[in-house]
Amino acid sequence: MNRVGLQYLAGDLSGGNARCIAMLQAFQEAIRDYSTPPEKTLTRDLTSKIGGFVSFLIECRPLSMSMGNAIRFLKSRIARLPLTLSESEAKTTLCSDIDRFINEKIVLADKVILRHAATKIRDGDVLLTYGSSCVVEMILLYAHELGKQFRVVVVDSHPMLEGQKLLRRLVVKGLSCTYTQLNAISYVMHKVTRVFLGASSIFSNGTVYSTVGTASVAMVAHAFRVPVLVCCEAYKFHERVQLDSICFNELGDPDAISKVPGRVDVNYLDNLTDKQKENLELLNLKYDATPSDYISVIVTDYGMIPPTSVPVIVRGYRKEYLLI
Amino acid sequence: MPDTQALVNDFLNKLKKRKIEGSQATAKQTAELLRSVISQTRMPYTNQAAALIHSVKAVGERLIAANPVELAVGNVVRRVLHIVREEDLSLTTAAMAGLNLSAESDDEDDTDRDNHPALSAAAIAAASRSTLRPPSLQTLLEDVPDSAAVPHTSSSGGDSEGKSKSADKSSRSRKLKHDVIEAVNELIQDISTCHELIAEQAVEHIHQNEVILTLGSSRTVLEFLCAAKEKKRSFRVFVAEGAPRYQGHLLAKELVTRGLQTTLITDSAVFAMISRVNMVIVGAHAVMANGGVIAPVGLNMVALAAQKHAVPFVVLAGSHKLCPLYPHHPEVLLNELRSPSELLDFGEFSDCLDFGSGIGAPLLHVVNPTFDYVPPKLVSLFITDTGGHNPSYMYRLIADYYSADDLVLERRTTSGN
Repeated sequence: MNRVGLQYLAGDLSGGNARCIAMLQAFQEAIRDYSTPPEKTLTRDLTSKIGGFVSFLIECRPLSMSMGNAIRFLKSRIARLPLTLSESEAKTTLCSDIDRFINEKIVLADKVILRHAATKIRDGDVLLTYGSSCVVEMILLYAHELGKQFRVVVVDSHPMLEGQKLLRRLVVKGLSCTYTQLNAISYVMHKVTRVFLGASSIFSNGTVYSTVGTASVAMVAHAFRVPVLVCCEAYKFHERVQLDSICFNELGDPDAISKVPGRVDVNYLDNLTDKQKENLELLNLKYDATPSDYISVIVTDYGMIPPTSVPVIVRGYRKEYLLI
Repeated sequence: MPDTQALVNDFLNKLKKRKIEGSQATAKQTAELLRSVISQTRMPYTNQAAALIHSVKAVGERLIAANPVELAVGNVVRRVLHIVREEDLSLTTAAMAGLNLSAESDDEDDTDRDNHPALSAAAIAAASRSTLRPPSLQTLLEDVPDSAAVPHTSSSGGDSEGKSKSADKSSRSRKLKHDVIEAVNELIQDISTCHELIAEQAVEHIHQNEVILTLGSSRTVLEFLCAAKEKKRSFRVFVAEGAPRYQGHLLAKELVTRGLQTTLITDSAVFAMISRVNMVIVGAHAVMANGGVIAPVGLNMVALAAQKHAVPFVVLAGSHKLCPLYPHHPEVLLNELRSPSELLDFGEFSDCLDFGSGIGAPLLHVVNPTFDYVPPKLVSLFITDTGGHNPSYMYRLIADYYSADDLVLERRTTSGN
C-alpha cells in the first residue's frame, strides 16, 4: 500500500486505468494479509481499514473518478458478504471479486473498445490524439496490426509532456507520427480526419472529464468539422454533473509551470524578488471538462453511444455488477 | 549612392537572418532606410514622382523578398509609395491652381493655344482636387464634366507653357523631395508612438475588478494594461504561457514588477479558465485587409474559446501592422516553421528522425509553426492608434493609407514581346 501511494506521489503511475488497477491489486494484498481482530465483525472492520488506506492514498494524490468507483464497488461487495462465510472464505471471495472486476471492467472492456474503435479507422486517415491515453494507444497499435494505413498526430502540452512517451512507443512499433504542441492545433487540424481522446471520467450530462487541454482539442476539432471519438470504459462513468472545469478539479505542482525541461534559454521565472512573488500566482490545473456538444461519439464496452446516453448507462446498467 | 547600397544590403541581411525582432522595429528601420533611399535619388526634370516611385519600388521589392512573412516591411514600403503619390498630387493641384490664375490673367494672347492646355490643366486640377478632398454637395450638384481621367503627372499640361513653367518645375522637384521626406519622418514618428496612442484608450475598456486574459507577450498589451493600472483601475490578469517560446513568462514577470495581480496558466488551461474571464486582449503580428489577424500561434484556439463563452476578443495593433493584402491560405503562405528542437530533444529522438531507417523516410515529423490565422468573425474589436474599429471597417483604413496601384510590387518581366 505504501509503495503504491508513493508511486502516485512521485507521478510514476499515471492514467486512470493504471492507477485503478494498481490500487485494487494493493487492496487484494491487504485483504489477503488481513485477519479479523477478536470481537469485531469482518465486514465493519475491513470497511474501516479500507477507509484508512483510501485516506492515505488521497494524501498522496487525490483520487481519480475511476478509483472512486472501484472503491465504491469494493465497499458494496464487502457489505453484501453473507454472514455465514468464514474468514478465509470471505477473503477468497473478495479477492476473486476484485479479479473479476479488473478482468471484466477493464481488461475485457478494453478489448471490446478496441474492436469497436478499429472499425472507425480507414486507410488514409490522419488520426489526432492528445496527451497519453492507454486506451487510445491500444487502439492505434491494434489498427496498425490489422494492417490499416494511417498517420498519427500526437499533440502534447507543457508541463506534463506525456505525449512524448506515447510518441516513443508508437514510433517503435513503426507508425508514422507527427508531433506538435497544443498551440499549433489550428495548424494541424486542417489535415486531420478523426480525433481520438481518452477520458478520466464521463459525467451524467455528457461532459467529458479528462486531462487539461482536451477541451481545447475537442473545440478546435468541432470548429473544423472533424469527428471526435472519446474512448472510455463504462466503469468510469459517474452520476455527478458538472458544467465547467473550475468547480471540481485537481491542482498540480505550481513550480512545474515555471520550469521548462531541456530548455535553458526560457527560464525567465528564476530569481524573482519578493515583491514580484507576492503578485504572481502559478496555476497548474490537471483536468478540464469538455462540453458534450463537442463530442461526436463515446466508444465504451457497451458499444458506441452518443454523449446523451451516458446517464442511461449509469442508472440502468451499473446495477448489474453490484448485484452479482 | 554607394552609401545607400551598403545600407540596403546590410538591412537585407538582417531581414534574411531574422535578426530584427518585432514588427515595430522592422517598420521603423524600413522607413528610415527608405528615407535615405529617397534623399539619395536623383530627380529628373520631368516625372519626378515616377522616378521616386521607381527607386522606392526597386528597393522595396528586395526587402519584401528577404522576409515575406514580416508583413510590416511591405506595409511601410506601400505607405511610402502612397506618400509620394499624395505629395505629388497636392503639389500638382497647388501648381495648377497657381497656373489657372496666370492662364486666366493673360487671356488675350494665343487664346486658342492657351485655352486648350489651360482647360486641360483646369480639368486636371479639378479632377485632382476631387480625388484629394471629399466632394462637397456644391460640386456634386454642379456636375463636373468627365475629365476625371487620373492625372498621371503634371508634365502633360505644362509643356506648352514656357519659362515660367520650367522655373516652377525645378522648385517643385526640390519641394517634392522635401515634402516626401517630411511625410516619411511623420510616418516614423507615428510608428514610434503607436504604443502610447493605443494605451490612452485603455481606460475606456478596462473597468474595475475585471479579469483579463492574454497569451504570450506583446509590448502593446503590456503598455495597455499598465496605462489602465496608472489610472487606478484594479484588475487581474491571466497570462497563458504561450509555448513553445514561453514568452508569457516574460510578460508575467513584467506585469508583477509593475504591481499587477497576475496568474500564470498553461495554454491547455485556457478553455477551463475562460469562463471566469471578462475580456481577452492580445497583440497581433499583422492585420489583413479582410479584418483577419495573423497572430502568434495558439490565438485561434483562444479566439474560438472566447466566442464559445461570449467573451470579447480585443486585438491591439499599430497602424503599421495593417496590410492591404487579402489572406489566401494564410496558415501555409504567411507562416514560418521554427526549429523542432524547441519541442523535442534531438538526442532522445534522433533515431526516429533519421532518413536512413527502413523505408527511407523519417517516421517522425515535428511541426512548430510561428503564427496562427484568426478569421475576422472571431474578433470583437480592433484598437489601433486611430481608435477602435470593427473588423469589417479595416478595409476602409487601407484606402487611407495605401494606393491601389501599389498592391502588387513585383515588376512584371516583359512577357515575350
